[in-house]
Amino acid sequence: MQLSEQSELASTVIQPETATRGRWSVRRPTSPSQAGWAMTSPFLILYLLFFLAPFIYSIVLSLRSPRTGGFVGLFNYGNVVGNGEYWSAVVRMAYFGVIQVTAMIVIAIGLALLLDSPYCRGKKFFALAYFFPYAVPGIIAAVMWAFLLEPDLDNALEVPHLLGIASGPLNPLSFRFVLYALMLIVTWEWAGYNMTILLTSLTSVPREILESGRIDGASELALAWRIKLPMVRRTVAFITVISIIGTLQLFNEPMILNDIASIGSTYTPNEFIYNTAFTFGNEQLAAAQSVVLALITVAATAAFYGIMRRRFDMFGAVRGGRR
Amino acid sequence: MSAIGRAAAPPSSTQRATPTRSARAAGRRARSAHRTKTAIGTSVAALAAIYVLAPIYWLIVASSKNTGQLFNSQTFLPASHLSWAENFKLLFTVDGGYFKYWLLNSIIYAVLTATLATAVSTLCGYALAKYRFRGRRVVFGMVVGSLLVPSTALVVPLFLLEHDFGFINTYQGVILPLLVYPFGVYLMSLFAADAVPDSLVDAARVDGSGEFRAFWKISRPLLMPGMVTLFLLTFIGTWNNYFLPLVLLGSTTRFPLTVGLSAWASELNLAGAGQPLYPEVILGSVVSVLPMLILFPFLQKYIARGLTFGAIVGE
Repeated sequence: MQLSEQSELASTVIQPETATRGRWSVRRPTSPSQAGWAMTSPFLILYLLFFLAPFIYSIVLSLRSPRTGGFVGLFNYGNVVGNGEYWSAVVRMAYFGVIQVTAMIVIAIGLALLLDSPYCRGKKFFALAYFFPYAVPGIIAAVMWAFLLEPDLDNALEVPHLLGIASGPLNPLSFRFVLYALMLIVTWEWAGYNMTILLTSLTSVPREILESGRIDGASELALAWRIKLPMVRRTVAFITVISIIGTLQLFNEPMILNDIASIGSTYTPNEFIYNTAFTFGNEQLAAAQSVVLALITVAATAAFYGIMRRRFDMFGAVRGGRR
Repeated sequence: MSAIGRAAAPPSSTQRATPTRSARAAGRRARSAHRTKTAIGTSVAALAAIYVLAPIYWLIVASSKNTGQLFNSQTFLPASHLSWAENFKLLFTVDGGYFKYWLLNSIIYAVLTATLATAVSTLCGYALAKYRFRGRRVVFGMVVGSLLVPSTALVVPLFLLEHDFGFINTYQGVILPLLVYPFGVYLMSLFAADAVPDSLVDAARVDGSGEFRAFWKISRPLLMPGMVTLFLLTFIGTWNNYFLPLVLLGSTTRFPLTVGLSAWASELNLAGAGQPLYPEVILGSVVSVLPMLILFPFLQKYIARGLTFGAIVGE
């Protein structure tokens, strides 16, 4: 009996999936270790199949020849490095990120501090309104904005023309301005999301500290700038990092803008990869392009953390303070 | 609000202590300054709200117009004749009536994914928080590490693997990859560590109930708020997802709303390809946003809590 139970335990550990259908384990005493594995196994199996396997596969694939499928070392990577169009998409998104992420984070901080200050009415309504775009699919957001920025459909764009400021109706979707139109859309989608995270984080700032600041005669602006903001800087760093990652992965919105305004199907790196894989059917090169994009993402994140750590002591002081 | 507002005007409290004329004047000045600042602050907030809400308002107004009205009426005002009824009829009949499949598919993908992902992530997160088993650290490291991997980098190899499994163009092909939600596992492990006291689980063990029974009877009810949050996050994530179903699905009857509507949108500027479906794209967008628009006020706090919980503890 003892022995058979042992072997059953062993088989559960080796093949975790058998434990999930085992109602018997409710009746017999289960060891915590066995239960731990049994409960993690559904996730782990899915993780191996649909996360780790593709991850490894993309690296393997990137080392194979597009033509013969044989091992070619870094051949595809050489192709990526020498591809000007790929890098112009990367540089475009870097430029996009520097402007859009900065503007969006500043807006999110400003609105969160405003809603956390005594100088605003209807805070609940505003908090809800700002967060709402989170529930709108990126595709729908892009369609909506594309229509609103289309001179044929939106006669508000003719106002500057009628006032004599511009020579014709504004066309934000023309190739010259479309990058900024894209910034407007992405900011619309994510500023409120970031604000929500910040606002909830701001409620964790101890009210006694703010109270004593007020008694010392500090203005609300000084409190916001000198106490609240420094105390949520880790959250600011966090939302900036997810925004950087999101920028480098941009796909849905430029796809839709291309449908409506013909900006080209390789406007962002992710679109470029999609195009390589599914328009040209070159999966090996696409895999190499995605590995490079992932590395760029990691490098951009690390660079941001590095700058923050050096400039603002972003982590050390706070971590020391919290524990 | 009112408590903070009062605290922000300290002169009004000193006024009560020493009711001199000058102090009262100072109190009045502080109050009027406060009123001015509140007016400015509220106006700024309102401007931002207009930026956020104007497009939604436009979308709803525009959904009441037919193609002619879209191009020839005031952008932000309803046309004299509302075309909702005919637009609705067209939406469900035009282009082979695909729209009803997309709507149904979106519901199927989102409900199944959210339910299963919540179950899988909750079990795993709970186990990571409450059991000290061998290999726990490795699993936890994997979960946290995969938060950094941009998931779109996996889409191309995922397509090839699913092609080999024969999963392309199937419901499970879309749902199974979406069940891997490392953020959810991570969130749940933090939540379980916080919400389920070890002593309670131990007490259940002493009473002779097995680990799974203890989980179901004792821990699950305590984890419920976290599970609601997780369900909403995965539901919205799946409902809004575009890239994955775009790559993994080929047949129009399997599309979710996002992929279907973008297919319609992509035909808008092709000249001569039949009548462009402007009203259908717009009304279809309204339909795909409306459920959330209605439910959002009730769900906001659950969603925000989950995101923030992960963000604050998660750095």
